[in-house]
Amino acid sequence: MKHDFIDKYAELDSVIHRLDPRIKIISFFSFIFFVISTQPPRFSIIFAQPSEVLMGSLKFLFYFLLIFSVILVSKVPLRFVFKRSLVIIPFVLLIAIFIPFLKEGEIAGSYSFASLHLNVTYTGLETLFNVLSKSWLSVLSMLALASTTKFPRLLKGFEKLGMPRVMVMIVSFMYRYVFVLGDEVMRMKCARDARSFGGNSKWHIKTVGNIIGTLFVRTYERGERVYVAMVSRGFSGKIKILDDLHVRKLDLCFMISFLTFLTMIWAVL
Amino acid sequence: MHIPDGFLSAPIWMSMWIIAIVIVGYAVKRTNEKLGERHVPMMGVLAAFIFAAQMLNTPVAGGTSGHMMGGVLAAVFLGPFAATIVMSTVFAVQAIFFQDGGITTLGANIFNMGLIGTILGYYIYQGIRKVIGGEKGMLVGAGVAAWITLMLGAIACAIMLGASGVVPLGVALPAMAGVHVLIGAIEAGITVVVVGMVLRSRPDLLELQKI
Repeated sequence: MKHDFIDKYAELDSVIHRLDPRIKIISFFSFIFFVISTQPPRFSIIFAQPSEVLMGSLKFLFYFLLIFSVILVSKVPLRFVFKRSLVIIPFVLLIAIFIPFLKEGEIAGSYSFASLHLNVTYTGLETLFNVLSKSWLSVLSMLALASTTKFPRLLKGFEKLGMPRVMVMIVSFMYRYVFVLGDEVMRMKCARDARSFGGNSKWHIKTVGNIIGTLFVRTYERGERVYVAMVSRGFSGKIKILDDLHVRKLDLCFMISFLTFLTMIWAVL
Repeated sequence: MHIPDGFLSAPIWMSMWIIAIVIVGYAVKRTNEKLGERHVPMMGVLAAFIFAAQMLNTPVAGGTSGHMMGGVLAAVFLGPFAATIVMSTVFAVQAIFFQDGGITTLGANIFNMGLIGTILGYYIYQGIRKVIGGEKGMLVGAGVAAWITLMLGAIACAIMLGASGVVPLGVALPAMAGVHVLIGAIEAGITVVVVGMVLRSRPDLLELQKI
């Protein structure tokens, strides 16, 4: 089976794809920190000081334009980006249902359904805007990173930036075998679906449990075989990786201008 | 339960990052001392296993489906610290490559869904196992540990969201706990079936050195 669910579109070629992974990690992680630490606009003063609220909202628009232009240049299909960015929706809904209950503060509007009275407050709207915009922008930033960098290169970037070696090695093994195990799971899932339809939850739990148990035993045995094969080829616990990362002028230009834009939006606007 | 970026206030996510770094760092040190880098291939393959196991969806209720987290399961097989490393790795990869959970909130997510299950869960499992004894003790211990730690994870998540001022705690706590009573039961069920299945086919795998 062909799997590209981890770093889909990382194979494309664009200016963003060719950037050094370290540069991209620093830039896109900084983006998240800048966004998270930006004050959300205070909707409760919208009538008193509309210009301040407008400026506050504009900041988020400019953050969006910044990351959106990076995604545009990277040629990653926008449909894919927007579809993937919806992962935050369940959590946002979880917050949205609480908004009427955030009762403190001025009431922005009241709605009545039958005997149920719901009050939407400015505080509630602020919270919703805050979490929705920040989480969505952060997701876009991580998408820009993951869909423009091949997994092994990204991992090498993290290693160069000081990620513990044990973790780097675990992740690189995980990356190699997740496709093999993914295939095994798909096959067992297919076998399950071919033999059954419906069933109660007790049955489902038993089946899934047995599949996972089988998978564990097979994985463990595979792990032993992999290790033995590596030892017989001279593995001593150290992994040597070809170092072919170079920071070019273009990389530095990208990072400096990206960070400058971020600082400008954060501080000036 | 993967908390996205922007949902937690700075003091909360920063302190959760510090807690996660300290505990995972200690786990890395412990594992290095006991195993050395020679056992890294096995842990990598087992991280892939958790990933693959999470691909299997089980119907929950009302047309929704969920997948297992596997923290307690990993701890039952590997011991608390090796399981901590495996689970943290999985969450980090999910955050960066699947945008499942945020970067600033990664520490909190590792704590809620990983550390509570792998460390506290392991000791709950061991305690019950010793009291009841035998195979029954293992199964009951694994199931109870899985249910309790999933509930605690959900409660911790609600408390963090409440303390960040995103949701009122009085509403979030009962809601999160209520929903996870059922999800926890499914996690416990799957964990028990997996442990039982491995007990029947490869009991030696449950007697491995625990780290």
